[in-house]
Amino acid sequence: MSQTIVSPETVLHELADLWVATGKDGPTDAGAGVLKACSMTLIAVAEESEDAAGLGETLAALMPEHPARTILVRLTGPGEPVLSERVYAQCWMPFGQRRQICCEHIEIAASDASLPDLRSLLPPLAAPDLPVILWCRSARLFDAPDVGGLAGIVRKVIVDSAIQPDARAALARLAAMAGGEALLADLSWTQLTRWREIQSRIFENREYLARLPEVDTVRVAFAGAQPPVHAWYMGAWSVDALATAGVHARLSLEPDAALTGRALRVELAGKDFRMELERQEDRLITRVGDSSQCVSLPRPTDYMLMREELGIVRHDPVYERTLASAAKLAVSSST
Amino acid sequence: MLLPMLENPFQDPLRFERRTPECAIVIFGANGDLARRKLLPALYRLAYDRRLAAGFAVVGVSRTPLSDDQFRETMLKAVREFSENTKVDDEVWTAFAQGLYYVAGDIADADLYRRLGAKLAEVEQARHTGGNVLFYLSTQPSQYAPAALGIGAAGLQKGPGWRRLIVEKPFGHSLASARELSGRIHQVFDEPDVYRIDHYLGKETVQNILAFRFGNGIFEPLWNRRYVNHVQITGAESIGVEGRGAYYQEAGALDDMIQNHLLQVMATIAMEPTATFKAPSVRDERSKLLRSIRPMTPDELRRNAVPGQYGPARIGGLDAPGFRQEPGVDPQSQTNTYAAATFFVENWRWAGIPFYLRTGKRLPKRVTEIAIQFNPAPLAIFDSDGDGLSPNLLILRIQPEEGISVKFLSKRPGAGMHLRPVSMDFNYGSSFGERSPSAYETLLLDALVGDATLYTRQDMVEASWAVVEPIQNLWRETHFDFPNYPAGTWGPPAADEMLARRGHAWRTP
Repeated sequence: MSQTIVSPETVLHELADLWVATGKDGPTDAGAGVLKACSMTLIAVAEESEDAAGLGETLAALMPEHPARTILVRLTGPGEPVLSERVYAQCWMPFGQRRQICCEHIEIAASDASLPDLRSLLPPLAAPDLPVILWCRSARLFDAPDVGGLAGIVRKVIVDSAIQPDARAALARLAAMAGGEALLADLSWTQLTRWREIQSRIFENREYLARLPEVDTVRVAFAGAQPPVHAWYMGAWSVDALATAGVHARLSLEPDAALTGRALRVELAGKDFRMELERQEDRLITRVGDSSQCVSLPRPTDYMLMREELGIVRHDPVYERTLASAAKLAVSSST
Repeated sequence: MLLPMLENPFQDPLRFERRTPECAIVIFGANGDLARRKLLPALYRLAYDRRLAAGFAVVGVSRTPLSDDQFRETMLKAVREFSENTKVDDEVWTAFAQGLYYVAGDIADADLYRRLGAKLAEVEQARHTGGNVLFYLSTQPSQYAPAALGIGAAGLQKGPGWRRLIVEKPFGHSLASARELSGRIHQVFDEPDVYRIDHYLGKETVQNILAFRFGNGIFEPLWNRRYVNHVQITGAESIGVEGRGAYYQEAGALDDMIQNHLLQVMATIAMEPTATFKAPSVRDERSKLLRSIRPMTPDELRRNAVPGQYGPARIGGLDAPGFRQEPGVDPQSQTNTYAAATFFVENWRWAGIPFYLRTGKRLPKRVTEIAIQFNPAPLAIFDSDGDGLSPNLLILRIQPEEGISVKFLSKRPGAGMHLRPVSMDFNYGSSFGERSPSAYETLLLDALVGDATLYTRQDMVEASWAVVEPIQNLWRETHFDFPNYPAGTWGPPAADEMLARRGHAWRTP
């Protein structure tokens, strides 16, 4: 790849040509043809070293539910200025129908030296009048995900704090970003949704709900030496929720050598009441008092996490509150 | 210490699925067609999607003697056969089946309710249902009142939790019988606990009408007599009575479709905006609209309501029997298998605007849609492709391809200023690749959480019957020269004439 002039006009022209070609290639009988679908612009920023096929599959899988003009920015790293692009259509044929549905896909490769050029390239490529979502997968851009100068037009920024080595610093950075114009999402939080839902379901039982005031401690056990971001989230969310019910519990984050990877064990405990959630492989074990239950809880894939986040283009008060609390707790624990 | 509020503090409505409480659903007619084809597959799908609470149970009630295990086996077969887009997962089924129970008995037998009460107590103990019970009457309509009264006589309408009753259509067969049925049900259940199900209202695209009208600012200003020329609502079926001739002979298209489904759709299209999206507000507006439909004199009815019955025809190389040739049908039957009617709404928004409703069996294709025709531009300054002042059309398609289309004029490419109509489509299924829940999934979930927005209230039922009954009475007194349309066509010529008198024509969907 080499440095070429890549102007928004060129890319938009190629997209227009693409539609003409796709329309000509498709079947011509009545009711067939190609339907262009677009409900947002999704800009994904990833390192070139990332599994390109896997990311491509994730983006393709998202399209039927969240049709988008996708702009995939591949960061090629240091070296000579490199900027190149290609456009193509991502199409699928809904079952039982003769008309293809297609989304526009733009792929841009940029070296570090060419990153400033993205600032003039990306904003005009966003589909007009539709939300722009920025998904930053690059660990080194975590502090500054807006490589394309999209401030002001990006509605939501999605990052994954799990790729950050220092959870406390990541939380502090996220809390600072949360005050910006764009909505913020962290896939480390998203991966807790089903888990949190199961915890919540336990307290749909009026008997258990009535025992809630007995809880005085929230324990979150994690793998490794330092609590990861999702452990802070889980602890902060539990303590905050209890506080809204007038129950003030102490949070304790503890390493547990028996746990591996991103596994957690959460315990809400009091004098005569104990509720525990523990992930074991693809299952979540819940224990309340003497009874236990096992539910299937497959590990969420990027597709599942993004599918959820793309469906929420509005303020998420529970996450915003949890992020603020988690950042505060993490900072206070380090001092 | 007491909780300041008894709400679950861990809720996150933005991300969590709607929560359903623990409860037992008692299905009367559990071995029937509706239960096997729709209810159990819908409940299983809800379980598959983890939408049901852990303490959830189904108690099937029917005359056939079955053990709990035999009932589970029968329901597994039904779920395998009738679940659409849902695989039967062994683990999910095993957990779901543990909550299936069965009580055999006759609805007229008081002992059935005693045994049902004992079973519910057992289920409450085993499944922690919290005493919540949803009774579902999926029986012959003649058994609705006896079942409700049986529940009442055994005291099962009261308990530690809530008790609700779902009633399937038809809600009576006339205004008087609807009132009588309601009166008997109200001896046991209060109106807020009665959920009359009209599965049309549970369809995603019918709900989308509300989103379309009240979620967007650009359509509502046009939604009135000043801009709308007329409205056509079509509920067409391509199949015949399919072995239900005996039943259908008693009902007919007018009672089977217009009295409930199509009038409810019309109410959704024409109702006033609500202040909130809460059940009482939405139902109040629907009810108000139905009550605003102008009653017609017999003379007006003759001009504004057309019955039809299909005759034999050859369709696609196959001989399709006429209605009178269907098994179980009287060879001289006067039953309407087609009904079309013009209604007028007497309010400031719609005064003078005709709403044309039509439905029928053995029409050319299965389609349900609403076409709103707008007034043409006041002056034709362009040359158009023989379409004259082609009116703008807004089409809301309910089935089979859910979506919305707008038809408008555009310049034909090339020299000159020649216009031709083009269509702009929004395809619901393509734009949201997510699987849409079935109408029964939506409505069952609503009933479980106590949301009656999409259910029909007694005053709505009565208002619908008040509209339909005069037509019903007139048609009963008249001998029609049936059949009057061949199978596979769009109905009798008189239905076309009904529109032609006002300068309108049925749209071909």
